[in-house]
This record gives sequence, C-alpha cells and structure tokens, in this order.
Amino acid sequence: MSTAPATCPFTGAQATPGTAPVPHASTESAVREAPVADWVKIEDLYRDPFPIYQRLRAEAPVHWVPAVNRYMVTSYAACHEIEQDEARFSANERNSLMKRSMGHSMLRKDNPEHQVDRDSYGATLRPGTIKKHWNGIFAQNNEKYLGQLLAKGPGADFVWDYAAPYTAENLRLICGFHNATQQDMQRWSQTMIDGTGNYADDPEVWAKAEASSAEVDAAIDQMLPYLAKNPDHSLLSNLASMPIPLEAIRANLKMTIGGGLNEPRDVLATTVWALLQNPGQLQAVRQDPALLPKAFEESVRWVAPIGMYPRETTQELVLEGVRLPAGARLGVVLGAANRDPLVFEDPETFNIFREKKPHLAFGGGVHFCAGTWIARAQVAQVALPEVFEKLPNLRLDPATASIDAGWVFRGMTKMPILWD
Amino acid sequence: MPTITFEQPNGTATDVEVAEGGNIMRAAVANNIAGIVGECGGQAMCATCHVYVNPEDAAGLPEPSEDEDEMLDCTTAERTEHSRLGCQVSLGGALQSIRVAVPSDQV
Repeated sequence: MSTAPATCPFTGAQATPGTAPVPHASTESAVREAPVADWVKIEDLYRDPFPIYQRLRAEAPVHWVPAVNRYMVTSYAACHEIEQDEARFSANERNSLMKRSMGHSMLRKDNPEHQVDRDSYGATLRPGTIKKHWNGIFAQNNEKYLGQLLAKGPGADFVWDYAAPYTAENLRLICGFHNATQQDMQRWSQTMIDGTGNYADDPEVWAKAEASSAEVDAAIDQMLPYLAKNPDHSLLSNLASMPIPLEAIRANLKMTIGGGLNEPRDVLATTVWALLQNPGQLQAVRQDPALLPKAFEESVRWVAPIGMYPRETTQELVLEGVRLPAGARLGVVLGAANRDPLVFEDPETFNIFREKKPHLAFGGGVHFCAGTWIARAQVAQVALPEVFEKLPNLRLDPATASIDAGWVFRGMTKMPILWD
Repeated sequence: MPTITFEQPNGTATDVEVAEGGNIMRAAVANNIAGIVGECGGQAMCATCHVYVNPEDAAGLPEPSEDEDEMLDCTTAERTEHSRLGCQVSLGGALQSIRVAVPSDQV
C-alpha cells in the first residue's frame, strides 16, 4: 500500500479518504473540522460524564455537541491553551446565562476590566490573611458544625448535615454578610447557580434566581455603610472603601456566593467519599494527616467541582488541529482535561500517591480561582484532619448508597455515613 | 534584549531572550522551560513559578512585595533567601541579564 491515510500528529486520528483539500499545503491537511458528537446526552453527562469524556478525548480534542449547544474541549493540551490565551479565547461570552443570573462579574470579563475587579478583592483571600485571620474562624465553625453532625448521630448525611453548612458559614463571614445566615447563603448560591445553568429557560428557575439576586442586593446595600464604619477582613469591607461601581460589587459578590460554597463543599465530601472507598489510602492519611493536602489535590483532579466553564473565540482559529469559527461558544471541560491519559497515568483512578503534575481544577491564566487558598485552608487544613479524628471508624452507610452526580458542577448529592 | 538563564536541577542551562519589561515566568512559559508552571497567569496567586535567583544577580532586584512574600511561603520546594516568584521579577533597564535556578518541585 502506497496510499496510507495521513494521521493527525495531535490526536492520532485519521482523515476520511477523499476529504483532504487537495490544493493546500501539506501542513493544512492536519487541520480538520470539529467532529459532531450527537450521541452525547445531558442526562448521561449528569449521571457519569467520565466514560463520555474518555470516548470524546480518544476521538478528538474538540467536538461540536448539539445537546450542549457548544463545542466541548476535552484534551488537557487544548484546555490549557485556552486558559493561557485570553486574546483568542474571551471570557466575555455573549448571551451568557451567568450574566443574566448574577450580573456581569469579573469571571465574564477580559483584561484590563477583569483586573480592576479582581484587585478590588484585596488581601481577603490571600494566604497571609488566611493564616492570620481566617484559619481561626474556620476552626471555630468546623467545631460547631462537626459537633452538630456528631449530635445528629450515625446515619447523618455528610454533605447536608456538615459540609454544606460549614462551608456556607465560612463563606458568609468571608463575604461579610453579617445580616444573613448560612441557610441564606445556601439558598442564594443554589438558586443563582440554577439560573446560570437554566438552558431550558424555565420561568420558575428564573423567578427564584431573581428573588435571591434581589435579596443579595439588599443585603449588600445594608452592609456597605456598616462595614465602612466598622471594617473587618471581609470582601465587602474591602469593597466599601474602593471606587468600584455598585453594579460590579453586586455581580462579583453573587459570583463569589455561587463559586465559593458548592466547590469547597463538594471537594470536602468527594475527598472523604474517595478515601472511604480506598482502604489503603484511608489508612495512610489516618496515620499521617500531612497527606491530607495531597488527598485534596488528587480529589479535585479526579473530580473537578467545576467540570466545565465557557469561553468564546474572538477569531477563526485552529485549536489542537481543529478549526473553529469566530464567535464559537466553547465549553472548557476541566473534568475531562484532568483525566487526560496523555498527562496523567491511570487517570480514572483516585490515587493520592500519583506523580504530582499540575491539574487544571482551579483553572489557569488570569481567571485562576481567587478562592484556591481559602478552599485548601478550610478543607485540607481545618476540616479533613478533624473529620477523621472526631468520627472514629468513619464509613459509608452500606444500607443507603451515596450518590455522586453532575458534570458542569459535580459532587456528592447524598452521602449517609456511619461511625463508632 | 535582556537575557534570562534558566538552570535546571540536573545542571543544564538554557538562555532565553525577553522583551524589555518582560518577566521571568512569561519568558519561561513562552519558551517551554521545564519546571515553571505559571498556573495563575502572573497574579502572585499560585506559587508555581518559584525560582532561586543567582546571589550575584539578586542585589539589583527590588524587594518582594507583601503579596509575593506570603506566597513564597506556599512554594512546594524549600524557600530560601534567594527564592522569588518568576512572575514578579521583570527584566529591563539596568537589569539586562539574570541567572535563576529552577526548583526540583513546583506543584
């Protein structure tokens, strides 16, 4: 055979015979259109996206996915390229549901506008403030909510009786909502996130998101003058003395309420769930709690709490050998990139002892998660050691199965536990 | 153009040219220098562009800011008196060349 089909140097995929654009130079033949993945269904993604990601990644780094109405980017290299290049891949998406639900926050702005908002958060989320100020508060909150879990007794739900109220209370104080409760934080967060994901345009979902948005606006309006007179270490206190438009403050706080609650909650529960199913690794962290930060990082690699976020191309371009038009709506699928076998050995396995490589769970580039160190502190440093200390022989309830679900956001939706 | 020399833990060294005002992290990432990740895009938020500045070159550098200083406490490899975040050290002006050692671990 003298006419073996050309193989894509990026993916190993072969072009269909007869489709090569003959007049073009040979380098052009490596460029192809995005394959269409019409077999991907939202309900399958929600239940377990990982087998779908395996199939997508093996076929191409980018697909057009009709069910999601986006190009889904699933290879590590392609996701990483997008994160590092905001000139070609804009965060300022048109017709963004997040903008509708929460306002135009820094997460959907490009620089230089993004940086102004980001800088307005000051030192609140930085390691120095965490060490000096937040760790003590996280420890108090952990004692309170772990105490409530203990009082409830074996059979309690790890997520809803502990992880959710604990992370919600931490976030309440970080934001500076001294006029709200942790229950308010949970309600605001979930209803506005539901709006962000309201692709079905359900009016009831919008009504709840709008009600929460109005409650948050009112809470901010009340707190800003108070915190200007009585400053603390919170975000709102910092913002009270900054020349930032109220509209930006509101949108950024709503984004933070959405992104600062479910993610630490989910990584806390997922990490414990994974350890409880891996007795060897569980024993290792029990003997050496210094391994818990490793367990945290492996957990967010294995199941990224934010599994996908949007970008939009600013021009026609080629991404890892796939041609994309200008204005293409992309889903950067971190949940898939973090299990790319070209980067991570045996990627589907939870293994806290794996060779350390940079995962993409916190994103990268200018939008790198501002709450990264807050999450590491409240989950890996404060919560996890106490969970294994205070709940002897902690185990999953064999009578009632735990449920992990989601793909844009993924975590435990049910996790009944027992202890001695 | 200003030049940065990256020295790897195994002793190999690579020279990289950088535009006036360019920083060590950007130059490393643009030239695929092993061991410099630069996860946060230069916001002094991730501590994955940690380098050890050659002591002879360190004298000409401004002191680390408070943000850089606290982030240097979060590096994976040991912090020494020569530790800096690559994203916070810019070349240009009087600083036309610098030699930095890349740590063995960055994440």
